[in-house]
This record gives sequence, C-alpha cells and structure tokens, in this order.
Amino acid sequence: MRKAAKVSKTKQQSWPDWIRERDDPRIAHTKPEALDDITVLDLSYKSFGGCLCSSLLAEFGAEVLRIEPPEGDFFRTCTPYGLLYKGEGLNYLTEGRNKFHITLDVSKPEGREILKGLVAQADVLIETYRPGTMDEWGIGYEQLKEVNPRLIFASITGYGQFGPMSRSRMPDYDNIAQARSEIQSATGEMLPEGKSYDECPWAVPTKAGPWIAWSAAGTFMAVGILAALYWRGITGEGQSLDIATAEAYARFDDYTTIWYQAAGVVAERFGNLDIAGWLYCFAPTKDGAVFLGGLRVEMWQAFADMLGKWDEWGAASWTSVAHFTQKDEQLKWASLVFEETRKYTNEELVRMSIEYAKKGRLAPVTPVVAPMCSPEEAMKDANWLDRGIFIPIQDPLYGELIVGQAQHKMTESPIRTKWVCRPVGYDNEHIYLKYLGWGPSKLRELKQQGII
Amino acid sequence: MAQQTWENYRQNKPFKPSPLKGIRVLEVCTIIFGPAGPGFLGAMGAEVIKCELPPRGDTMRQMVPDGYFFRDQSLAMTHTNTNKYWLGLDLHKPEGQKIFHELAAKSDIVEDNLRPSTMERWNIGYRQLKETNPGIIYISKNGFGQWGQYAEENRPSNDGAAQALSGYAWMSSFPGQPPLKSRLYVCDTFGALMGEVAVLAALHHRSKTGKGQYIELSQSENIMRIMSWIWPYQQITGKAAMPTGNRDASICPADTFRCVDDTFMAIAAPAPNEFEGLCAAMDRPELAEDPRFKDHLTRLKEENATALLAIIAAWVRTKKPEEIEELAEGYGFAASRVYTSKDVMEDAHFRERGFITNIDDPFIGPYTEYEFPVMMSKSPPRVKWSIRAVGFDNEYVMKRTLGKSEEEIKELYRCGVLGKWADVQGCRPPPHWDGKAGIIMARD
Repeated sequence: MRKAAKVSKTKQQSWPDWIRERDDPRIAHTKPEALDDITVLDLSYKSFGGCLCSSLLAEFGAEVLRIEPPEGDFFRTCTPYGLLYKGEGLNYLTEGRNKFHITLDVSKPEGREILKGLVAQADVLIETYRPGTMDEWGIGYEQLKEVNPRLIFASITGYGQFGPMSRSRMPDYDNIAQARSEIQSATGEMLPEGKSYDECPWAVPTKAGPWIAWSAAGTFMAVGILAALYWRGITGEGQSLDIATAEAYARFDDYTTIWYQAAGVVAERFGNLDIAGWLYCFAPTKDGAVFLGGLRVEMWQAFADMLGKWDEWGAASWTSVAHFTQKDEQLKWASLVFEETRKYTNEELVRMSIEYAKKGRLAPVTPVVAPMCSPEEAMKDANWLDRGIFIPIQDPLYGELIVGQAQHKMTESPIRTKWVCRPVGYDNEHIYLKYLGWGPSKLRELKQQGII
Repeated sequence: MAQQTWENYRQNKPFKPSPLKGIRVLEVCTIIFGPAGPGFLGAMGAEVIKCELPPRGDTMRQMVPDGYFFRDQSLAMTHTNTNKYWLGLDLHKPEGQKIFHELAAKSDIVEDNLRPSTMERWNIGYRQLKETNPGIIYISKNGFGQWGQYAEENRPSNDGAAQALSGYAWMSSFPGQPPLKSRLYVCDTFGALMGEVAVLAALHHRSKTGKGQYIELSQSENIMRIMSWIWPYQQITGKAAMPTGNRDASICPADTFRCVDDTFMAIAAPAPNEFEGLCAAMDRPELAEDPRFKDHLTRLKEENATALLAIIAAWVRTKKPEEIEELAEGYGFAASRVYTSKDVMEDAHFRERGFITNIDDPFIGPYTEYEFPVMMSKSPPRVKWSIRAVGFDNEYVMKRTLGKSEEEIKELYRCGVLGKWADVQGCRPPPHWDGKAGIIMARD
C-alpha cells in the first residue's frame, strides 16, 4: 500500500501541465526579476530602436530612466494617422513600459553635469543622436567613461559611429534602413508581364509594415548590452557599443550575399513564393489564403497525398526538394497547387493537415498549413489569448491597454509589463529625489532655468 | 571622442577578447529559427556544439535558392551557423542521450527547436537535464510554445506560418492586394534574436542566484511583440489595422518613391527641420507653412499624408537617385536608394566598418559574409568560420570536452551513435576539400 501511494505521488505530471504551472505569464509577477540590479539611462530620441531596446531591459526589471528634452521626444508624435490616446502617440505608448520618464536638457552645460551625476550611478546608457553629437555636448563615451569606467555606452544610429557615412547628416528611420538593407528590393509582387509600374503600383519593392529594421537594431543592441554586462562581470570594464540600423536588419538576410558573390545572381522579387524553399508559399483558398510549408521531401509528399494527388503528381518518386526550388519548377508547381487549394477553405486545409498527422500514409509527417490572419483576427485568436499575449495592462494613468507582450516565457525570472507609459517629465520628482536627493525647490529652480 | 574609441576597430579585432568567452552552448536545432540563436552566441565567442542527426543532419542543408549550392553547401546554412563545432550524434539512441547528458553537465545553455516533448521523449528534456546540471539555461523555440491549443494539436510551423498567423504579412502589403510574404525568414531570425535576449538575461540571473531555468519562445508570438501600435489601435478605435504599402502610417513623410530612371528611393523627413529641408530641396518652401502639413500630427492625417506624398512622388519622378541622395545630405533629411544585394556587397561604408567581411575558411575556402552587427569596442564579436560537414568535429568534441579514449570513440561509431556525413550535396565537404583542412583533432 505504502509503495503504491509513493508511486502515484511521484508519477510525473505531463510536460505541458508541468511547464505551464511554472511559466504562465499570469504568474510572472510572483517571480524574481533578472535585471533588477541594473540601471539604464535611455537618452534615445526620434528612435523606436532605442525605445524598444530599453523596453526589453525594463521588461526584465531593469530600472530604466527615460531622459527626454524638456519638450519631450519627437517620437511621441510618430503615431498612426496622427491618432493620440489620452494625449499620447500609440507607438510611444507601447514602448514606455516599466520606465520612469524624466526631462533634462543635455545640450546645456548644467544639464550635462546632472547627466554625469546619473551616469555615475548607472550601468548602461542608450543614445541615438547623430554620431558626434554626444561628443560635442561633452557627454560622449570618452568623456563619460571618466565618470564611470564600468559604463556600457550603447549607440543606435542610421550609419554607425565610424566609417565614411557616419558623419552623414541623414537621420535614422525605419523605412530608410529597410531600403538600405537589400531586403525590401527582393520582397514584393512580380510585375506582370507586359505591365508597367504605373498600371501596377503595388508590384514594386515592398517594405514590411511593422518597424522591423528598428526592431532589429533595438533587439540586437539589447543582446549586445547583455553580453557586455556579462563581460563586465568578468573584467570589471565597461565599453562602447555601436549599431547601424541598416546593418542590424541586413544581418537577418540568409543567403543573398553568398548567392551574389558566388553565382553573380542578384535576388529579385518572387511574390509569395520563396526562391530558397519548396514547398514554401502563400496559397489562395476559397475564403482567403494559407501558408503552406513542406521543406523536407516527406512533408511535400504528405501535402500531395493530403490533397489526393499522390499518384497523379508522382510523389512516390520524389527524393529531394532541391530540384523543386528552381524558379521554373516553382512556377509550374505553384499553379498546380493553387488550383487545388482554391477548392478548400482555410479551416478545412488546417484540419486536413492536423488529421493527416494522425492517419495519413506518411503520418506523423504532415505539411505546415497556417491560415492568413489579419491583426484583427490574430488579436481574437483564442490560442494567443490563452498564451497571455494580449492580457490588458492596468496602467495607473492610461487605464486598461493592450500591447504586445509575453514574447518569451520563463520559469525563474520572466518578463512582465507593469505599466505602459508616462507623460513627459512625469517622474522628475521621484527620480531626482532618489538619485540626486533634490527636492521640489531645487526642481523649481531647474525648471525655471529650462534645464528640466 | 568617438573617433578614438573606434579607430582601427576592424583592424584591431583579432587582438581583442570575445564577450561570451567561457560559455558553452549545446544546440539541437534545425533550419533557421533554432540555429540562428546559437549562431549569434557563437559570433560573440561562446563555444557552440551543434548536434545533428547523422548522416544527413540539419534539414537546412538541402535548402538552396533556385537549386544553387555554394561549393556543395547550402547558402543559408552557411550564413546561419557561425563559429560552431559540428557533432553528428544520434539522440534517438540511449548511448547518444548519455553523451548528451555528459556534455550538458559541462554546458551553460541548451537550445532546441523541436516540437513539444520531443526532447523529453529522448530523455534529454529540461526536467531530465536539470537533474544533471541545475544551473542549465534551456530554451525551446518552436511554432506555438509548449502549451495551449495549437501546441496540443502538435501543429508544425515555419517562418511563413508565423508571418501569416501574426498579421505581419497582412500589414506588409499594399491596400487591396493580398497579404505579402517577406522574402526574409523574419520571424525565424528575429525570434532567434529575441530568444537570446532571454537567454542572456537568464545568464545574468544565474550569476546572481546560481539558478538555471527554462525558456520557451513561439515563432508567432515574438513578432507580435514588435507590431507596436497595431494592438492598442484596434483596442481603442474598435477598427481593424490596415496595411499602407510602402508608406509609414506613423511617420510623415516616409515612403518609397520612383525616380526618373525607374529605380526606387526611400525618403523620410518627419521632424520639423527635416521636413523644412525637404521642402527647400524640392524648391517648395511654402509647403512647410501649408496648414495641411504644418506639424507632424497634422501631416499624418490620411488626407494630408496622401496629398503630401503625391507632391513628393511627382518631384522624385523627375530626379535621378544620386540627385536625391545629394539633396538629402545637403538639407538634412533621410533618403536611400533601395539597395540590391549587389549594392550592399559593394558599399564602401559597410566594408570600411567591417560589416561586410572576408572570411578565410579552411573548410569551404574564402568568402564574404555579414559580420555580427553589434560593434563592441573592447570585446568585438566576430564571424570566424561557419559550416562543416555533418559530424566533422566529432573527434574534437569527444576528446577535448569529454576525454573519450580512442576505443570508446570507435565503439560510439560502431553502434551508430556518432556518425559523419552522407555523400550528398549539402551534407558533404566541398569538392576541392583535401580531406584534411579544418579538421582539428587528427588529420592523419
């Protein structure tokens, strides 16, 4: 009896139950925070990259002080269609998360001295001014490392801190970096034969809607900062980090550099097919479109089988997908595939794939089938809601707000979003008191001088 | 000054340490979403041991553009797998699993991108490995995470599935046109990068507490994180977010235009001085005073943005790309030609910075590659080598890391736990390979 009881007690919980019990975002607030010993000064200006970078650290509990000029960051006005919510731009609302917002005019000598006081107490500084600007203000890396040799000084700019273009006057924007990276040139619909751009203004190099180049820069910099923190832990030394937004995004490319240098081929637009993969495309359906994926030959075979085309398409004889990636082959097979997918709805095709994994000839191998969703559908998808991606944040100032979150889930020190944003200078009182011991009368004085 | 910090950065790299020296990573990953993350750590100096199933290894080895192999290798495979050691290890076999535990006992990080519970079935899941090494940081990346409906249905996923499910493709097309797939495996590579933010934060947590942990990341969820205004916009307005083609819905003016020679030009000039500069460059200074365009929030309104972008489009249509870029430099707004891969490769600035870098690889020979894009003044990351044939470093890893004897290694080969490449393109060495170059432990 005793033995049996012991066995049932130690019987292992299923993996999904076990892990959910430990990493559901709904219990994140009960766990420690990985970066709660780190202080970050974020001076970024006109930059989603800078704001995202400090958000990624703030989600892990770093104390991030957003330092804006007294009139606020211009980036606050970068909002879709000029829409404000409670006086705030929507993009800024999503990346003010967990940060304290203070004002400081670092272009004034008194402002710089105050900044140095904060630098002496900080671990990381993030900035996005045109290269040379911080130096001219006397608060570049060379100057600030004298104040704090352990400082990690992180710069995100359009062209970086060195190299012939680094002194360019051109500012850093996401659409510019997307263009500069090469990726836009080879993304987009192909111009139909015999048609002109004037007739098909949509068949052009097409950028991604979301700010992916800025996101690449901000996220690479978060990785760089964390690696620099690790290195500082060993050596005690800070250092300077430099990212050029176009380079960060270009690094996401996987094959076009080698293709060009080795074969002389310049990658071109290939619509919703993929020149480096088969089966790998968006396909039209009865009620929209689906993504189809079958990068291993068995998955491509399973797809043919799932549609009842095993014999007709000769699937048994396929040994590799490499041959199918050739452009002509892709165009030929795509039209055959699309003719079939048009017979079904998205939901039918998704179910066919799930069922095939259970009962198909090649089960458990099955093709990837995913429905095309609008962001409206994505936001209502019960799976993501269950996974905690869209849990509304209760913000003390802005009320209940939905922002993307919980992008990774962790058992010991998970991320969390505590508040979404703060107005310009909202935390001056708290932060200047906490770090410099300055109370209301000193702040009034600084405000009169236009420093905060 | 900054010049001093960055002087001869590229030339001095060989003489500086790597930031993640001393960190060991075990990888059981395929295609891009999995391997890219350890590749980033490898570029920063971590020792990455990539485990592949012999003899064919990573599925990515067969993925090539238009059927083209680079010296018998997959191009994307070469790009993604930076500075790794290549172990051909069959994890279906108990002896293979034992080897994995022996390696995990001496490692800091484990990364997989298999479907939920697969690693656990092989006795090398997180629950099993943390018994061997409680400090282990273990990340699983896949389509839908470890729990929830889609994970339970055991749905497979690819980057393109995440582009579709997240709404990313929907928002990246022209109004009235079907959603458009990025030619980039963006959810893979961005997701892999986002995963390393979590891994490195966990490393920091471990340095304070000694505790390892488990991390999970979904291909779709990571990209939804950076879709920014789209979610609160839908919540606040009750309206669906819609795509705007090449026009940035949140920055005005910011769009891609067509030049006189039918090449494409991206322009952005939202801030007051930038917009005034653009108006002056167009010789239309009065536009900066126009009530429709006078400030950024006003310009962003649909009808005003449309009117303004039409004016700029008509102007760009009369200009050559070099004229626009020169004016942008002079007047302080942003402009860039839409670069092709040739333009990027030949760009003097990227080369001078060392972002475009020449790799002198003993195995596949010399080639040019993108550098890791974070320049670190004292501990520069660096791409040193890349792809190897399946199982290429077996002897090195068995001998150096695990101290196995010749007999033990021979036995592991005999029972099929260790293996080397199949003689097929993508898996085997390049045709010019001399049978020795790149082998570390025993070349004779």
